[in-house]
Amino acid sequence: MGDIEDTHFETGDSGASATFPMQCSALRKNGFVMLKGRPCKIVEMSTSKTGKHGHAKVHLVGIDIFNGKKYEDICPSTHNMDVPHVKREDYQLTDISDDGYLTLMADNGDLREDLKYPDGDLGSQLRSDFDAGKELLCTVLKSCGEECVIAVKANTALDK
Amino acid sequence: MDNSIQTLEAAAQMLMAPPNLVSSEQRHQAESVFMEFRSTKNPYQLCREILEKSSSDYVLFEAAGLLKTALIREWSLLTESDISSLREYLLNYLMRKETPPFLREKLLQTIAIIIKRGSIDDGGRERKALLGELEKIILSSPIGQQKLACSLILAIMQEYAITVKSADVGLIWEIHFRLKKSFEAMDLKRIFRFTVGVLEQIVRSGHRPEGEQALLTKQLLTIVETVLCWGQVSPLLPKRLIGVFEAVYESDTAPALRLSLNWRDTILQPEVIALFFDIHMYVRSNPDLANPSLTCLVQLASLSGIVVSDANLKKQYLENYVNSFLNMMSNIQPFDREMLGISDIYRRLIQFFSPSMVAALPPAFLQNLTSLTCHCIRGSVMEEVANDDTVWRESLNKFLHTWSSLVHDTEGYSTEALQNPCIEVFNTYLQSRLAPPDGTRGTENSEASCDDIKDDIEEDERKQHSNVLLTIGAVARKAPAHCCHVLFTLLQDRSKRLESQLQLMHMGKLPVSGGEQLVSLFEDLHWILMITGHFIAIDCTEGETVMIPPEIIHYSLVENCNIDASLKYLVGESTSTENVDPIIKILGEILRVSAWECAAQEAGLSSVFSPELILGEILRVSAWECAALEAGLSSVFSPELSATMSWLLKIWANSYLMLQPNLYSEMSAVLECAWGRQSMGVAWGVSRLVARAGSCLRHLSAQPAAATQAMQLLTTLASIQCKQNPIASCEEFLALVAWEAAGSNLPGEQRKELHRAFAIAATYAEGDVRNRLIQGTVALKEKLMNIINMDSDTEPVRNMLADTLDCFIGVTEGVHEVGTMDEQLAILLSVLQCVPRIVYRYHNYSGVVLPALALLAKNAKRMLHSTLHTNKTEYLEVCNTTFEVYVRWNSGKISSIPQDAEEEAYEDICALMEVICSIARCGVDAQAGGSCATGVRLVLPLITTQLLALPRLAHIAYRMLRDLVAADQITNLPIEDFNMVVNALRVGLTAVSCDVSTLCCDTIVGLSTKARTLGDDNPYAISLLTLAELLLMLIIKMEIPPDSIPAAGAAIYALTCVKPALLEGLARQLIEAFAVNDPANVPRLEEAFGILTNGVLFDGLRPHKIRFQDNFDKFLASVHGFLIVK
Repeated sequence: MGDIEDTHFETGDSGASATFPMQCSALRKNGFVMLKGRPCKIVEMSTSKTGKHGHAKVHLVGIDIFNGKKYEDICPSTHNMDVPHVKREDYQLTDISDDGYLTLMADNGDLREDLKYPDGDLGSQLRSDFDAGKELLCTVLKSCGEECVIAVKANTALDK
Repeated sequence: MDNSIQTLEAAAQMLMAPPNLVSSEQRHQAESVFMEFRSTKNPYQLCREILEKSSSDYVLFEAAGLLKTALIREWSLLTESDISSLREYLLNYLMRKETPPFLREKLLQTIAIIIKRGSIDDGGRERKALLGELEKIILSSPIGQQKLACSLILAIMQEYAITVKSADVGLIWEIHFRLKKSFEAMDLKRIFRFTVGVLEQIVRSGHRPEGEQALLTKQLLTIVETVLCWGQVSPLLPKRLIGVFEAVYESDTAPALRLSLNWRDTILQPEVIALFFDIHMYVRSNPDLANPSLTCLVQLASLSGIVVSDANLKKQYLENYVNSFLNMMSNIQPFDREMLGISDIYRRLIQFFSPSMVAALPPAFLQNLTSLTCHCIRGSVMEEVANDDTVWRESLNKFLHTWSSLVHDTEGYSTEALQNPCIEVFNTYLQSRLAPPDGTRGTENSEASCDDIKDDIEEDERKQHSNVLLTIGAVARKAPAHCCHVLFTLLQDRSKRLESQLQLMHMGKLPVSGGEQLVSLFEDLHWILMITGHFIAIDCTEGETVMIPPEIIHYSLVENCNIDASLKYLVGESTSTENVDPIIKILGEILRVSAWECAAQEAGLSSVFSPELILGEILRVSAWECAALEAGLSSVFSPELSATMSWLLKIWANSYLMLQPNLYSEMSAVLECAWGRQSMGVAWGVSRLVARAGSCLRHLSAQPAAATQAMQLLTTLASIQCKQNPIASCEEFLALVAWEAAGSNLPGEQRKELHRAFAIAATYAEGDVRNRLIQGTVALKEKLMNIINMDSDTEPVRNMLADTLDCFIGVTEGVHEVGTMDEQLAILLSVLQCVPRIVYRYHNYSGVVLPALALLAKNAKRMLHSTLHTNKTEYLEVCNTTFEVYVRWNSGKISSIPQDAEEEAYEDICALMEVICSIARCGVDAQAGGSCATGVRLVLPLITTQLLALPRLAHIAYRMLRDLVAADQITNLPIEDFNMVVNALRVGLTAVSCDVSTLCCDTIVGLSTKARTLGDDNPYAISLLTLAELLLMLIIKMEIPPDSIPAAGAAIYALTCVKPALLEGLARQLIEAFAVNDPANVPRLEEAFGILTNGVLFDGLRPHKIRFQDNFDKFLASVHGFLIVK
């Protein structure tokens, strides 16, 4: 479960805030926003207002980028909302440890072993492709201090 | 036989039992009992037994259903005596047994089908005899049997009424249609006369319609209603049109009453018309009966066709009708529920009788219309507030439809005759929208409520009322002097009130929140502006040349005011309204309110004001007071009102600004001096309006409606296509360009539109001004370059990048295809050349990839049709590289995507396909074709069967295939890729969506035409032909959506043209399969295939293609006739 403090989680690498403010009316569909303290991708935006001559409010529906849960929120269109910094980086998979951790190599050669093997279909595909000896590229999604593997593909891009 | 009844009853019990008492296995078993029962052959005796002996409703219902389908299926195998004994039995059964309605309806339908089927051979003899019997029953039997006889007549009429989508699938359409026509000619009038006669007796008897008697009356009325609503279609129309006609017939608008000559002796009798009004008077207090009787009156108001081809007869009829109608109206106070019917009567009379005939009617006709319309206006406004029903609004729409015809017909009422009625309607509408004391708007109105209202789903306020207001505007223009005066006085009064309210607020004597009073003022102004807008101009869609309404010009001419005085008043140099043109007076007042509004917004945010604003007092507030107002005035103003104001100025600018006198038959000198192309007023007006739009964009960008309307105002101003358009040199406009270049902070969508407006304006600009405009685009490009050269890759940077790409989409849309645009194209091309790099670097971020691909797609037309050959070459190169980069990062990629988000997750594939489609659609030569082929080869492997289950993606994918076939590109693919296309088609054919299967069939037709030239032993042809069997099976089993059937027929023909032996082979296969399972039907199947290929040559030429389609329809009717298990 996401905690409210995640919103202001200090990321290790840059020291910057995990989120930045943006005027609600400037948010766009398919963009990101924090809803109920969770980083979400906006899937629906609609406006309503208080009375016919009132000012607009934006109704947002988002899907948690990590667990797919749906959240919604409503906010005056002139106010600011927090937008999470989201990163998606590609790593080469070099190993899978017995306790379910992945060994990943970044573009610059740095290794990391702190990410778990993903659940579901993605996980089983990753396992079988890796066992078959394929070179795999994992996309790691990172936001608000959380990280996980969200996509995997056979590594054809590297020969470039 | 008793055994099988018991089995069925046990199974029925199982099916109807609550879920906790039976297992799902038992339920399945019970279901299979009925499945088997439904396909029983020759079940007539069994069904009779069941009807006599069973007491289970479910079994009875199934038996009746089986009787019906078996009859259709086995019709040709039954003897005439079998059939007539069955019919007699069923009628007898219904007469003697009290049956539940569901069973009765089904059995009545079965009898009706027997009658209809039988009439193919006996020419309606049996039907005539039966109708005679039924008439006797209605005249003399107990009331229960009378009702049954009526139901049977209705069932028979129902069976004959519809031809194209008839449930009786055993007949081809031509026969359905022929039967309908013969029924129409032989029996329809007889049924009408008989029923009307019975109704007359009932009315004359004087008894109130109650109980059983009321039910019988209702049935009789329904019969007459059905006759009068009968779709009398001309046999000359093609089937497709008749299909459309019948679809309309099934909806609630009945077609006009078009009758043939032989109805003259019936329908033209004055007594008949009078009788229908008597009937309505007799039944109107009972809503059940009043509905059909009112429908009859509405239908009679639309009498047309040969029966009244003689103008005198028609006039006579109209007079009779209207006399009876007015007579009725003078004796009754219409119920609310009658309004819709009454408004429909007016609408139809105006629609079906000539304006001069209508104008010659007694004055009471118009008086009545006026007072009913006013009544309806009041009703519909109240209904809007209560928001529970739409009857009043629907009725009002019909009344206004009538008014619209009245005020536009030049041969009808004279302007003088319409003057007072029009004033009455206009006043009533205005009053219904204004708060007391001027108007009657309820205080409970939603404008004051604090509930959250209105999502984007609901229509924009100005669109929602535009239909009504268009007509109110047209009505008002019939009395311009009165309406001008009223509107001006109201505007003046409200703008003064607004001024004093804001002053009070500023002096702290009113709370800044404004309160109800201010909201009510906003609502008043909102409506006054909407009505004024529709009065002075016509709200038209973009792209049309909109003219100033002729009545307005004429009125301005008649008033013949002083030009100088008018112009001085307009620009605010004088406040005297003496000798000022009335239209200019109104506009001056509107601009004054607009200025107030802008000033209030500016006041919130800055202390510097432009001196032109008519806001002396507020302008002089000191800086700290302004700061105090910041939370106040700008947030107190209504965004809705701002939107309405921008809307009004937009539609006004569209027809008045830079008007061209030579387009008009007459033109007022004052208007021409104020806003003609050469006038000083144009530059002044444009700068005022641009200033207004700019102010709204700066301060109300977070209010969607206000910002959208302001942007549309700006775009309208930029789009006025003439050399004298001063917008490009207007300082306010250039200030906007500079503001945006410096980082305007507008939301993405608005920035995009802003750049579109800039690009449009640049089209007509010249010299230095043009350079300044183009500098805006150059600055945007530099911004883009800066972003993509940045090392830092953070969320704000990516947002900025996506916004900037969107802005270039706006630029692309704005670069018109006329004028010199090479400079802009050069900028766009250099931006496009960054797309592969952007897709490469941001491949993990669909928020960036999507606008980049959309920009690429958007530019296809501009670049491929460019006069510079290099533009085209370079554009295609960019596309090729983009495809490769995209695929490099995405092929074989597996993502964890939550189910809800699937549609979004694959939007980038859709965007990529859109790029390919855009290229294919621009007319393809070898070079562009190469790009398409590259694209499709790269993208096809990404589109898995799972993805094709997503409706939007599937639609785009199959549309792409079709477009590519049309561009002749698919057969250039290597055979492995071609096989992938064929596989995708296989998936698409089995999809349940109509558009996808139609697209697939169209694609197959295109591919077959190409494959024919290659020969049937070519690997491409062989691969393609594998689809034929699947397609044929889908058609026969009715597993293809009905609307795709014609396309599927064309596909079968096209495939057979590739290899003429194909269809024969498939037929043989199918027949052999039947020989094992269902030998009885083999001869019928053989015969059906015989029909299919009868006289058709598979040469791919049009005559044979058409003949095949005809045969195909017959084939389907016959095959579905004996294969149905529905």
